[in-house]
Amino acid sequence: MIEQFKEWYINRHAYAKQWKERTGGKVIGTFCTYVPEEILVAANMLPARILGSHEPQDVTEPHIFGMFCPFCRDSLAQGLKGRFNYLDGVVLAHSCIHFRQTFNSWRIHLPVEFAYYIPMPNTAQTPHAPAYHRAEVDKFKKAIEEYAGRPIAEQDLDRGIEILNRNRRLLRKAYEHRKLDNPPLTGEEAMYMAVTSQFIDKEEHSNLLEAVLKELPQRKLPRDAGIRLMAVGSENDDAEFFKMVENVGGTVVIDEQCAGSRYFWNESVPNGDRLAAIANRYLDRPACPVKDYPAHSRFQHVLNLAKDYRAQGAIIMQEKFCDPHEGDNPRLKKYLEENGIPTLSLEFDSTNPLGPFRIRVEAFLETIRGEELF
Amino acid sequence: MAELQEFWRWTEYTWHHPEMDWRKGKRLAAGIDVGSVSSQALILVDGEIYAFSNLRTGSNSPDSAHKAVNGAMKDTGMELSNLKYTVGTGYGRVNIPFANRAITEIACHARGANFMAGPKIRTVLDMGGQDCKAIHCDERGKVSNFLMNDKCAAGTGRGMEVMADLLSIPIKDIGELSYQVDQEPPPVSSTCVVFAKSEALGLMRSGWSKNMVLAAYCSAMAHRVSLLLGRIGVEDQFFITGGIAKNPGIVKRLEKELGIESVKTKYDSQIAGALGAALFADTLLQKGTQ
Repeated sequence: MIEQFKEWYINRHAYAKQWKERTGGKVIGTFCTYVPEEILVAANMLPARILGSHEPQDVTEPHIFGMFCPFCRDSLAQGLKGRFNYLDGVVLAHSCIHFRQTFNSWRIHLPVEFAYYIPMPNTAQTPHAPAYHRAEVDKFKKAIEEYAGRPIAEQDLDRGIEILNRNRRLLRKAYEHRKLDNPPLTGEEAMYMAVTSQFIDKEEHSNLLEAVLKELPQRKLPRDAGIRLMAVGSENDDAEFFKMVENVGGTVVIDEQCAGSRYFWNESVPNGDRLAAIANRYLDRPACPVKDYPAHSRFQHVLNLAKDYRAQGAIIMQEKFCDPHEGDNPRLKKYLEENGIPTLSLEFDSTNPLGPFRIRVEAFLETIRGEELF
Repeated sequence: MAELQEFWRWTEYTWHHPEMDWRKGKRLAAGIDVGSVSSQALILVDGEIYAFSNLRTGSNSPDSAHKAVNGAMKDTGMELSNLKYTVGTGYGRVNIPFANRAITEIACHARGANFMAGPKIRTVLDMGGQDCKAIHCDERGKVSNFLMNDKCAAGTGRGMEVMADLLSIPIKDIGELSYQVDQEPPPVSSTCVVFAKSEALGLMRSGWSKNMVLAAYCSAMAHRVSLLLGRIGVEDQFFITGGIAKNPGIVKRLEKELGIESVKTKYDSQIAGALGAALFADTLLQKGTQ
């Protein structure tokens, strides 16, 4: 049953097209993970995160600087290659300048019915952010109402919030199983599970999660968990990498990245003012480095996760040219090591040299594993 | 037409202990290091070095591994079936059909360095054919931390081979000749193999001697490696393994830049990986690991 997540991951475009045919609804492409999806779900639209394909490409050269991150280029390439030709709209809630470029280029070269930029503040910690962002979420809601041709009622928002929250709760429950000595799901499987929630219909995804959660307590994997690892980074859905790591004696038991836990970790807390609840959820969520200043809340969060899931080591997955993460990583590395979590830093491109990565990972595991060779 | 001289070609050889009788030994353990450029096999008899080979890697790992182990066993009467435990290492480590286990060359070089240069070694620099590793280890040669060069093969053995060919200078002479200059020239600006080649050609055209180009290339490589070491820190004692350790043009410049001498031993620095692998094989044999 858990294999369904992988199938969704592989066939995500076919899924979106079928969803559209089946429901007659609109599919809205989302960039990064700060778009308030509650509003889209309240309007019966399907939010589908735009991701790359991890294939070599040569179509983005005229549109994005070479020193912008491979993920933003890979994402735009999918649009330029026509793989997202079913999208009715695209939305970006501001994250980094690289994705803003991707979004703007998309808007120019791949016209859609609805393109919307939410200028979400990066200084999410300032006391002015909640009021500001609530107003922006409200403007976004109005834009969606106008596009959909009907108002979004309060009960629609409640439904949107509950659908998103249920999915988040279930994903966290599934992650709980990764705390076990021998987790009943691999890091690769967990990655498919988490990342598919970003483009599959949330209710359908939640229903499958519920069914999988019933099975997980009985599920035994015919493998030794080996060294428990944490994956830390930006957008890392490189399945081949996780597969390799888990073939050489490790298991990824927890992640801190936007293809995984950062996306679903916290819920919207209903407080009567629904739009404020939604806006605050995105301001309060585990931040990526771009929204994590002046205070660095992220480091403590990463360490807490590592401890809760008993990670014996962390692989810091640096997306090449991702400046926000590059700024964080030297200090994060030091912080984790000072707190007893050894780290391995690797730089990722959209396609990666698995052989050279493999020796680094194996040697890292050997340093953690200890005494058997002596 | 005159035969084309291969200036990059270094001497391949095999060696076995002239007096030791392996038949009297109880533990026959082997390490096979199939690297990107060279392959070594080393056989330990009861923990002592009995034989080894140092050959060029061919187009596939299983063949290179067989060639290396057959080289080490040459004229000894030993056969593959006599080996009780074999550990494979190097880039080809997972493709050695007769190996009982694969261990990374990072662990093996540290273990080999520990045997060759003693338990005081804390920093090992493996300068190989297509990559470069800075390793920290404890008194047993167990790795505590390591760092590898980035994806490209700049500043490695293969780059030196390319330079030997370009300048028509036998590779073993490069180190020596790089000091035969009136004044140490500034390093070439790039150690990317391809760019450095273009830059070397440009320098020759502008009147530089071959030796000056060699000096500039060696110092660029030494500088690049010192940066890698700088990221992890150099703790005394310091030891260099791999083929480039035989090139004084780089070693001396590196030592000068780091302000620390590397430990020199009687062993061939290229066998460190295979030696470490064989030592692990011997340990695993004693532990009865299958």
